[in-house]
Amino acid sequence: MSRNDHLLTVEDLQKSYGDELVLDGIDFTMDAQDVQVLIGPSGSGKSTLLRCVNRLTEFEGGTISLDGEDVMAMDVNELRRQVGMVFQDFNLFAHLSARENVALGPRRVLGKSKAEANDRALDELERVGLADQADSYPAELSGGQKQRVGIARALAMDPKLMLFDEPTSALDPELIGEVLGVMRELADEGMTMLCVTHEMGFARQVATDIMFLEDGRLVEHGDPERLFTDPRHERTEQFLRRLTELHGGGSES
Amino acid sequence: MTAAALSLATADWTYVWQNLGTLLRGVWPAVRLTGTALLAGFLVGVPLGALEVYGGRRSAWLARKAGVAVRGTPILVIMFITYFGLGLSPAFVAATAALGVRSAAYQAQVFRGALQSIDRGQMEAARAVGLSKLGAIRHVMIPQGLRRFVPGFQNEYTIVLKDTSIAFAISYTEIFYQMYNLIPQQTTATPELFVTAAAVYLALTLVGNRVLDYVDDAFGVPDGGASQ
Amino acid sequence: MSAERERRHADLERGLTYAIGGAIWLWLCFRWLNSWLGGVVVGPTEPLVPQSFATATESLGATLGAVGDGVPLVATGFDLVGWAVGMVGFASQYGPQLAVAAWLTVVLTVISTLVGLVVAVPLAAARVYGRVTKYVAFVYIELIRGTPLVAQLFLLYYGAPFLSKFIREVPGVGQGIVPAQAVWIAIIGFVINSSAYQAEYIRGSVESVDPGQLTAARAVGLDKLGGIRYVVLPQALRYAIPSWTNELVYLIKYSSLAMFITVPEIFTQADSIGSETFAYTNAYVLAAGFYLVLVVTASYGMSKVEAEVAIPGVGSSDAGR
Ligand SMILES: Nc1ncnc2c1ncn2[C@@H]1O[C@H](COP(=O)(O)OP(=O)(O)OP(=O)(O)O)[C@@H](O)[C@H]1O
Ligand SMILES: [Mg+2]
Repeated sequence: MSRNDHLLTVEDLQKSYGDELVLDGIDFTMDAQDVQVLIGPSGSGKSTLLRCVNRLTEFEGGTISLDGEDVMAMDVNELRRQVGMVFQDFNLFAHLSARENVALGPRRVLGKSKAEANDRALDELERVGLADQADSYPAELSGGQKQRVGIARALAMDPKLMLFDEPTSALDPELIGEVLGVMRELADEGMTMLCVTHEMGFARQVATDIMFLEDGRLVEHGDPERLFTDPRHERTEQFLRRLTELHGGGSES
Repeated sequence: MTAAALSLATADWTYVWQNLGTLLRGVWPAVRLTGTALLAGFLVGVPLGALEVYGGRRSAWLARKAGVAVRGTPILVIMFITYFGLGLSPAFVAATAALGVRSAAYQAQVFRGALQSIDRGQMEAARAVGLSKLGAIRHVMIPQGLRRFVPGFQNEYTIVLKDTSIAFAISYTEIFYQMYNLIPQQTTATPELFVTAAAVYLALTLVGNRVLDYVDDAFGVPDGGASQ
Repeated sequence: MSAERERRHADLERGLTYAIGGAIWLWLCFRWLNSWLGGVVVGPTEPLVPQSFATATESLGATLGAVGDGVPLVATGFDLVGWAVGMVGFASQYGPQLAVAAWLTVVLTVISTLVGLVVAVPLAAARVYGRVTKYVAFVYIELIRGTPLVAQLFLLYYGAPFLSKFIREVPGVGQGIVPAQAVWIAIIGFVINSSAYQAEYIRGSVESVDPGQLTAARAVGLDKLGGIRYVVLPQALRYAIPSWTNELVYLIKYSSLAMFITVPEIFTQADSIGSETFAYTNAYVLAAGFYLVLVVTASYGMSKVEAEVAIPGVGSSDAGR
C-alpha cells in the first residue's frame, strides 16, 4: 500500500456543483514537509480542491486520504483538527481578541483548560510576531496582522497539514511580505503546506512542487525551476507568463 | 378538529361574509387617518429632523428632548390627551393630532438619520460652489435626505396604520371599531373576524408599501438610497 | 472655548438627569416597598405631602393662570405656568396611585419580553432552518406583526372565553401576589406579540453575521452547534441589542393597551383618576410622565449593557419597530 507512505493522497477526485463538473479526476500526493503550491485561473477549482481536503465541501468521486486514512471515514471534526486552514478574507472571529481567536480551538475543540489554551495562543502569536497585539480585536488589526492571527489560529491545533487559500490576495502590496515571511518560516520548520497562491517569488523559492489547475483538471505539475523554465503545456506557459507580467517576475516583495 | 368545531366555524365564516361590508366600511376611515397623520408628521417631522442636525445648539437640544418625550409616551395616552384632555373633536381631528404628533417625532428621527448618513463631502462641495449654509441645506442636503427617507417611512407607515386601531377608543369608526362591534351578536365568530381584519390590515400594508416602493424608484438616487 | 462650554453643558445636563432620575427611582422604590409591606410608612396610595400642599399649589396655579388674561401671548404663557404649578400639586396627590400601578407595568413588560425571547428563539430557528415549520413560523410572524396589538388582546380576552375560564380556575390566580386572570391574558398577548417581533430581530441579526465566521469555526474543528454557540450567537446577540431596546420600549408603551382588558396598569389608573377629578389632561400627562421615566430608564439601561459588551468591529445594527 503505497498510499500509506504519503501524508496526503488525492486520487481521481471528482466534484460538481449541479451539472457543472468543477474538479475532474485530480490525482496527486504530498509527503510530510512538502510545500505544494497550486496555481490556476479564477474559477479553475483551486478553492474547491482545498475545501474538499478538509471536507468543507463534500465530493462525489475519488478518494482523499490523510496519513493513510480515508477522510470520508474520519470524523469530520477530527479531520479538521488535523488540517489547518487559512482563508483569503481572514475570517477572524469578529467578537474575539487575537488571543481568544487562537485559543478558541484548543479550548473548545481540544478541551484544554483556559490557562493552557491561553498560553498556547500566546506562543503561537509570538511565533507569527504578534505577541504585543494579543488583546486587540480583529477590527483593530491591519490586514497583514489579521492574516498572521489567522495562521496562528490554525497552528494552535497542531495540524499535520496546513491549507492556504490565497492568503495574501486581499492584502495591500506592502503587507504581503509579512505574511509570506511567516509562511516561509513555517516551511523551514517543516510544516506540510498546500497553498493556493500567485506569489511566484514565494512559489519559486519555497515550493517543492507546483501544480497548474485549469477547468478542474490538473494540466501539469513539477518542481518550480522546471515548470518556470520548461513548461510542457502551452496553457501553463501562457498562464505563467501572464502571472510574471502582473507580478513582476520571480522576485519577492 | 372535530366535525362540530368545523361546522361551527362554517357558521362563523358565514357571519363574517354577511358582515364583510360593515367591516370594510372601516377601511376608508383607517386609510384617511393614516394619510393625514403621516402628512402632518411629515410636515412637522422633516423640519424638526433638519433642526436637530443643522440647528443652533439650543433649538437642536429642544427638538431632541421634545422628540424623546413624545416617543416615550404611549399613543393611547397622547390620543386621550388630544380627545378628552384638550377636547379636540371630532374624533378624526383628535386622532390625526395624536398620531400626527407622534409620527412627527419618529419621522424627525428617521430624517435625522437620513441626513447624517449623507457624505460630509456633499456639504463641503455645496459650500465650495458658493451656496450659503442654508442654501446648501435646502438644495443639497434635504433633497438627498428625503430620498434616503423612504425605507424608514415605510416602517412608519406600517406602524401608523396599525395604530389607527387605537382610535376605536375615542369612537373613531375604523376597521377595528367595526370588527369590535360585530362581536357581541356572534361571539364565537371572534377568531374569524380577527383573521379577516388581519387580512385587511395585511392587504393595506402590502399595497401601501408597494406604493412607497414605487415612490422610492421614482425619486431615489441610483445607489444613493443605500444607507447602511 | 465653545467645546469646553459644550462639555460643561453636557455634564450639567447629565448631572441633572441623574439627580432627577435617581430621586424618582428612590421614590418609586419607596412606594413599592411601602405598598408590599401593607403601608408601613403611609397608606399604600396615600401621598407623603398633605392635601393642603396640593390645594395651595392648585390655587397658586389658578392665580398665575389668571395673570395677563386678555393679552394674547402673555395670557397663554401664564396659563402654561399656572398649569405647571398646579400640576405639581396634582402629581403629589395622585402620583402614589400611579406608582403602585407602575409596578404592574414593569412586571408586565419584563416578563413579556423575557418569555417572548424564549418563544422567539425556536421561532427564529424554525424560520431560518426549518422545512415545514419554516412556513408555520412565517405565517405566525407575519400574522402577528401585520395586525394591531389591541386586536390581539381583544381576541384573547373576548374571543377565547375558554382561556379566561381556564386561567380563572387555576388555583391561586388573583390571590395574594398572583395577579388576576386579565393580567395573565395581557401577558399571553404581549408574549405572542413580542415573540413574533423578536424572532424577526434574531433572524436579522443571525443573518447579519458573515457566513465566513461559521466556515472558519468549522475549519478549526468545531461542529455546527459549537460554531453557532461560540461564534455566531455571541456576535448575533450583540447585533440584536438595539432591537431589544426598541422592543422593551415598545412593550412599556403598548402595555397601556391592557387598559382595555381591565388590567390595572398605569393608564387604567390614570383614566380612573381623570374621571374622578375631571382633570383629564393632568391625569394623562402624569401617566405620560410615568411611562417616560420607564422608557428612558430602559433605554439608558440597555445602552449601558451595550457599552458593557461592546467589541470593536462587532457593530450595532439598528433595527426595530
Ligand atoms: N457554492 C458553490 N455553488 C455553486 N458553484 C460553485 C460554488 N463554489 C464554487 N463554485 C463554482 O466552482 C468553480 C470553481 O470555484 P473555485 O472557487 O474553486 O475556483 P478558484 O479556482 O478558487 O477561483 P478563484 O481564483 O476565483 O478563487 C467555479 O466555476 C465556481 O463558480
Ligand atoms: Mg478561490
